[in-house]
Amino acid sequence: MSIIETKNLTYTYPGGTKPSIEDVSIKIKKGEFILITGPSGCGKTTLCRCFNGLIPHFYQGELKGDVTVVGLKVAEQPIYELAKHVGLVFQNPENQLFALSVEKDVAFGLENLGVQREEMLKRVNWALKLAGIYDIRERTPHELSGGQQQRVAIASVLAMQPEVIILDEPTSFLDPLGAKKIFEVIYDLNRKLGITVILVEHRLDLTARYANHIIIMDNGKSVLDGEPRKILSSEEALLIGVGIPKPTRLYQMLQKDKVNLDNIIPLSSDEMATVLREALKSQ
Amino acid sequence: MSVFEGLKFRRVYSPIHDLDPRIKFIYVCAIFTVAIIFLELIPLMILFLIQIPFVVLAGVKREWLRSMRGAAFLATIIFLTNFIFSYISAGPENTAATVEYACALTLRFIVLVESFSVFFLTTSPDRLGLALEQTHIPYEFCFAFTTAVRFVPVLAEEAQTIMDAQKARGLELERGNFLKRIRNYIPILIPLIVSAIRRSLELAEAMESRAWGATKNRTNLYALKMHRGDFYLVGITAGILTVAIYVRLSFGIPSLNDLLGWLF
Repeated sequence: MSIIETKNLTYTYPGGTKPSIEDVSIKIKKGEFILITGPSGCGKTTLCRCFNGLIPHFYQGELKGDVTVVGLKVAEQPIYELAKHVGLVFQNPENQLFALSVEKDVAFGLENLGVQREEMLKRVNWALKLAGIYDIRERTPHELSGGQQQRVAIASVLAMQPEVIILDEPTSFLDPLGAKKIFEVIYDLNRKLGITVILVEHRLDLTARYANHIIIMDNGKSVLDGEPRKILSSEEALLIGVGIPKPTRLYQMLQKDKVNLDNIIPLSSDEMATVLREALKSQ
Repeated sequence: MSVFEGLKFRRVYSPIHDLDPRIKFIYVCAIFTVAIIFLELIPLMILFLIQIPFVVLAGVKREWLRSMRGAAFLATIIFLTNFIFSYISAGPENTAATVEYACALTLRFIVLVESFSVFFLTTSPDRLGLALEQTHIPYEFCFAFTTAVRFVPVLAEEAQTIMDAQKARGLELERGNFLKRIRNYIPILIPLIVSAIRRSLELAEAMESRAWGATKNRTNLYALKMHRGDFYLVGITAGILTVAIYVRLSFGIPSLNDLLGWLF
C-alpha cells in the first residue's frame, strides 16, 4: 500500500517560465526509507513541498496532476491538517526554531493543535529522548551547535507523531560527525518506529546504506526510481552526476577490470571490505 | 555589537526571577502610583529604599547600577530645570525648600526608573512572553515578541559577518563626516534586510509545516502558577498601597527641612 503517490505531477512557481517539476509519477510505500537525490535545482525541494501542502497552499503557482498523502488529496487539505501526518525538516536549522527554549520549540506544533498539557508533556519528553536532546531541553536555540539545532527540529516534527518525515538536506549546514549523528537518529526512527522517511541528500556516501528505495531526479523529472544497489551501479546515475558512493564506484571499476567479486554491490565501506575479504580469501 | 550583548537572553534563577511576571508587573504599577501621589522627599526616599532588597535578592546589582547610571543624566536635567524655575519664582530666601522640592521630583523619576529596571532585569523574555499569552493577549503578538527576542542575537551575528565581508572588500566604516559615516552603513543594511526577509519566508514555511493556525484554542506547554513568593509579593504590594493611601489621606507629611529643624 503506498503512503504517498503522485500522478503526472507538474508544478510551476508563480512567475516561472518552465515547470520546476514535470510529470513526476512516484509511489512511496509505508515504512520505506527513501533517498531522493539529483543535481542542484532538479526539483527535489519542490517535490518535498508538494508532499505537505506548502505547494499549492503557501506557494501559489500552477499545479497539475495528483498528490495523495496518507489517503488525503493534498490540494484539498489545509497545511495544518497535513502537518499531523507529514513532518518536514528544513535545510537551515536556525530558521525553523522560534521559541526561547528547546522544550517549547518541540511543543510548538502540539500547542498549535491544541493538545492537552499532560499529553503534550509526555510527547515532548518522548521526542526529546528519541532525538537525544533531553539533557539540553532548557537551553535556548542560540546556545546550541548546528547539529543540536537540527536534532531539535527533528524532535519538534517527531512530537507531532507523523507517519511520514521528510528531511530536505538536513545536514548541509553541519560537519560530517554532526551529519552522521543525524542520519543515525533518522535511521532509528525508520527502523524502530516504522516511520516512513524521505531524505533529500547529496552525500550518498553517508546515506545510501540506510535507504531501501532511491529516486534520482534530473531537470524536474524523476529519471531513476528503484532499488539503491541497482540504481547506484547503473551507468545513467553516473552520467547524471550523482555522487555515487565511493565503495560502489570502486566495485564497478574492479569489475570492469574483470576482478572476480561477489554479486552484492556494496554501498558502504564496511560492505566493500567484506566483498574484498571474500575475494582475497577465494584466491 | 556590544549593544546587542545586553539583549542576549540567559536564564537566571533567583527568588525574584521565579516570581510570576504578572504579579511583578502589578507591583511595579503600585510603586508607580505611590510615587505619583507623593511629592514629599521622605516617602519617596522610603520608596527608593524598599526596592533595594529586591535588587540584592535577585543578584542583579551590577546591571541595576548600570541602568541607574544611565538614568543619571536625565535625572540631573530634571533637578536643574526644577531648581532653576522654582528658585526664580520662590526667591533666594527659600533655597532650602527649593532644593528639597527639586530633589523630590528627581527622586520620583529615579523611583520610576528603578522599579521598571527591577522588573525588566529580573523577568526573562520567555516568562514575559508566557505572561503575555496567559493574559489573553492575541497569540500572534506574543509570538512576534518571543521570536523577535529569539532572533536578535542571530541578526547581530549576521550583521557582524556582513560587516566583515564588506570591510574585506575595502569598505571603510569610520571615514568621513557624520553624514558620510551614516551613508557608509548602507552596504551593510541592504544585505542585512534582504537576508532578514528571506529568513522570514523560511520561518513562515516552517511555521506552516508545524500546524500554525490549526485551532483557535491553542494550548501551552507551560502554565504560570502562583507560588508562595507570589503571594508574599501580593501582600507586600497591598501593604505598600494601603499604608501609602492612609498616610496620604490622614497625615500632613513633614518636609525634610522641618524634620531636621525639629530634631536639632
